[in-house]
Amino acid sequence: MIHLEGIRRDFRLGEQTVHALAGIDLDIAAGEYVSIMGPSGSGKSTLLNVVALLDRPDAGSYAFDGVDVTAFDDDALARVRRENIGFVFQFFHLIPRLTAFQNVEVPLVLASVPVAERRERVNEALASLDLSSRAHHRPNELSGGQRQRVAIARATIMRPKVLLADEPTGNLDSVSGRQVIEIIENLNAANGVTLIVVTHDSAMGSRASRQLRLVDGRIDSDQRR
Amino acid sequence: MKMADSTLLAWQAVIAHKFRTLLILLAMGIGVAAVILLTTLGETGRAYITGQFSSLGTNLLIVLPGRNETTGGAPPLLGTTPRDLTLGDALAVARSPYVERLAPIIIGGASAATDQGLVRDTTVLGTTAEMAHVRSLNLSRGRFLPAGDPYSAEPVCVIGITILNELFRGQDPVGQRLQLGDRKYRIIGVLSDEGVSVGIDFNDMVLLPVAAAQQLFNREGLFRMMIEMRSAGNTEDAIADVRRIITDRHEGEDDVTIITQDSLVSTFDRILSAVTYGIGGIGAISLVVAGILIMNVMLVSVTQRTAEVGLLKALGSSSRNIERLFLIEAIILSCSGAIVGVSVGLFTVWLMRGMWPTLPIHAPVWALVAAVAVAITTGLAFGTLPARRAARLDPVQALSRR
Amino acid sequence: MKAGDLIGFAGGAISAHRLRSGLTILGITVGIASVVLLTSIGEGVRQFVMSEFTQFGTNIIAVVPGKSNTFGTSAATINTVRPLTIDDAQSLRRLPNVLAVVPTIQGNANVEFEGRQRRAMVFGVTHDMPVVWKMDVRSGQFLPDGDFTTGRSVAVLGAKMREELFGADNPLGARIRVGGERFQVLGVMESKGQMLGFDLDDTLFLPVAKAVELFDQEGMMEIDIVYAADADVAQIVDTVKRRMMQRHGAEDVTITTQDEMLEVLNSVLNVLTLGIGALGGISLLVGAVGILTIMTIAVTERTAEIGLLRAIGARRAHILGLFLAEAVGLGALGGIIGCIGAVGVVEAIAFLVPAMPVRTAWIYVLASLLLATLIGLASGIAPALRAARMLPLEALRAE
Repeated sequence: MIHLEGIRRDFRLGEQTVHALAGIDLDIAAGEYVSIMGPSGSGKSTLLNVVALLDRPDAGSYAFDGVDVTAFDDDALARVRRENIGFVFQFFHLIPRLTAFQNVEVPLVLASVPVAERRERVNEALASLDLSSRAHHRPNELSGGQRQRVAIARATIMRPKVLLADEPTGNLDSVSGRQVIEIIENLNAANGVTLIVVTHDSAMGSRASRQLRLVDGRIDSDQRR
Repeated sequence: MKMADSTLLAWQAVIAHKFRTLLILLAMGIGVAAVILLTTLGETGRAYITGQFSSLGTNLLIVLPGRNETTGGAPPLLGTTPRDLTLGDALAVARSPYVERLAPIIIGGASAATDQGLVRDTTVLGTTAEMAHVRSLNLSRGRFLPAGDPYSAEPVCVIGITILNELFRGQDPVGQRLQLGDRKYRIIGVLSDEGVSVGIDFNDMVLLPVAAAQQLFNREGLFRMMIEMRSAGNTEDAIADVRRIITDRHEGEDDVTIITQDSLVSTFDRILSAVTYGIGGIGAISLVVAGILIMNVMLVSVTQRTAEVGLLKALGSSSRNIERLFLIEAIILSCSGAIVGVSVGLFTVWLMRGMWPTLPIHAPVWALVAAVAVAITTGLAFGTLPARRAARLDPVQALSRR
Repeated sequence: MKAGDLIGFAGGAISAHRLRSGLTILGITVGIASVVLLTSIGEGVRQFVMSEFTQFGTNIIAVVPGKSNTFGTSAATINTVRPLTIDDAQSLRRLPNVLAVVPTIQGNANVEFEGRQRRAMVFGVTHDMPVVWKMDVRSGQFLPDGDFTTGRSVAVLGAKMREELFGADNPLGARIRVGGERFQVLGVMESKGQMLGFDLDDTLFLPVAKAVELFDQEGMMEIDIVYAADADVAQIVDTVKRRMMQRHGAEDVTITTQDEMLEVLNSVLNVLTLGIGALGGISLLVGAVGILTIMTIAVTERTAEIGLLRAIGARRAHILGLFLAEAVGLGALGGIIGCIGAVGVVEAIAFLVPAMPVRTAWIYVLASLLLATLIGLASGIAPALRAARMLPLEALRAE
């Protein structure tokens, strides 16, 4: 599903050049559950951004689902993201003026899905995450756990092949956090969605069937359970 | 908090958002500059036209034949009367103690032809030597119409500069002949460039002795009499005396209209001042729009700085202090905008003065003061609401909001 | 992304900040309203002036002495070497397609009846004057038809003249004195009112030949020709011109068709309307700066949202479209409200005070709406481009 070869990503910080990713080779198969861990500044978020097609590597090649996307232009990348990748962020990133329903609906709107189908799919997604009663509330009227569940509904509404989660429980209390983990793990187990989670929480990271550890922009260990 | 500290804080807020501040300056600047430029245009028009009338010479009376009793209506500017205003009337009026000089006027259209066969339709003005003084006409060549017996129809003429250029290009016309209708006149002088003054183009004109014009048009009646009064103080007496003289000569019939130059000037002055105020007011609408923009941005600023306000309050700042802080910010914005507008406006006025040096272009001081005052007032007025809103914020809630 | 969704999304963004959007819209509203109001005043004045002039009959050609190609009055109207005479008018009468000819001489005289006097305008005209000036006879009859060069000593009174001289008495048949001569009152005109400052009721109408004697002036001020409605104007103008050339030996008159005159007047007044509309447009410029400012702020505030939308697959064009739609929405809403408000005010004034020369200039209303939308678009471009050019990753981080 994801094939990275010799990926390098450098940032300039003043006079210094920081090698956030210093040559990453990585293969992730469809349906895998991968956690990426590592200390701050190890490059785990950069790796996630590259995998998410949000950031372009300075060197190396990237094949997504068998297609080399390294040279794709901006709009082509947007299309790949829209159709194949779902995001769950630490800070939820819900649009504050939109209701839960509308937030979930955004990717369908961008993809010009007909209104009737949209309504059906969104309601279904909200119901499956036990959010039906909150559908017409705005984010500031929802609890943290509910917000993250709305974000998950939005991330999965396009039925992506890959779900990327960046510290998905970082802003949640432990009960809500566990709930969120269970939901996304269930997506992996039941629907075969490739799940990649970036976290510094080792308890959470160790739940994954494949655990990557990054140190100084390199893959330090790659363990499978 | 001291005033200086408040001002400094507000100033820092202003320069923190450079682009936003720039746009506000632009908006205020456009408004202030618009008011200044529009009123300058109006004022220039007013000054130009009243200047034109004043250039007729002060103490001027104009006598028209005929009189209407309809009040408020137009005077009988055109048309004729059963009893003409005659040259004899003019001479009688000229002897009045109130009259310094008098120029009778006959006006008409004719085509002027040279011996070379060039033809031009032009305006013919029959008058006397006095005209040169009454209208301060200057000659570029030769001499003006001869003084002496106004009844003498000497076949001479004085031509304007356009006639010179059109019919005698590159020649000395003095001494040459000009044919008007079927009569010929010897050119004795050329007017200098007089420009168009009060709608009369002296450049495109042939001046004849009044008696010669009477013959040419086969018409005894005068079109106008222009009277220069001896002194300005007793206009009413002068009008009464002129009216008495003419009424006496017209068998007791009061059949002339007398216009003073003052009344003409003040009429135009009134109208054009109103126009100036009007367009200045239209320009001021944009100041209001700029004021609305300041309010809007200040409201945004209050929302964005909610946490800052909460902190200041938590640190012991009073509501009045907060209100003052935001008001000062609004005033800084509107004042700077006004300064930008005044600079741009005055610079443009200066440029225009360079381009048209003959026009009396100047920005009216009242408009400068008014524009700046309105700018600052709108800034203050529209800044008050956001400032109040900031002052009323609850510190605990303000702090807890990100 | 569908157009409907785009509008919905932008509309949501506008209504999310009610106060802020409201103030931005208010700015445009004030500008558009001032444009519409000012042009409506211009339009009202135009209609007023045009109606003043069109209260004369149609299919009229005016011949005035002196050759001038400008709109202004030639000095030849006052005096001329070769005047337009009654004979000229008589001759024009015989041209084909000419229905009526009215030579006009205007003067000022004292009119007297049994000790009562009044100074007013005196017109020397002919039988067909009421056709040209669209005036009606209230009582009696107008001047008799016949040879222009001879006239009986008869007169027709304007409404005000009659009132001043006769009060409630019947003036028909009475003998009045005009400039020392006696005239018998033949009729009284209906009131016509003021025309650009001239009171057309404070007048006396005499046969033109009599007026020529009275004023001892041969030259007509103007000769009006009424032509057949189905005739070719250009051709008539041409025949009139040739006839005058024949008679005068030179082209020394100015011939103006009423249509031409109205056209010139109309275009002058239209330019004037456009001018004051443009003055009002200055505040629209300021309103545009307002949209630009608010959209710039909005883009900055919603950077994270832009990042998210890009992350979940919005293309640059989507982002551009969203913010442009928002700016256009602000402009268009301001335009609509401004137009409705201003048209309401104008119509209310026109209804309540019909004498006020204020009429809705619909073409400017439409133009204003379009302008407001364009202003929204123009001032939205820069912020929207900035939003579209944001890198998704950096925008996401900007929380």
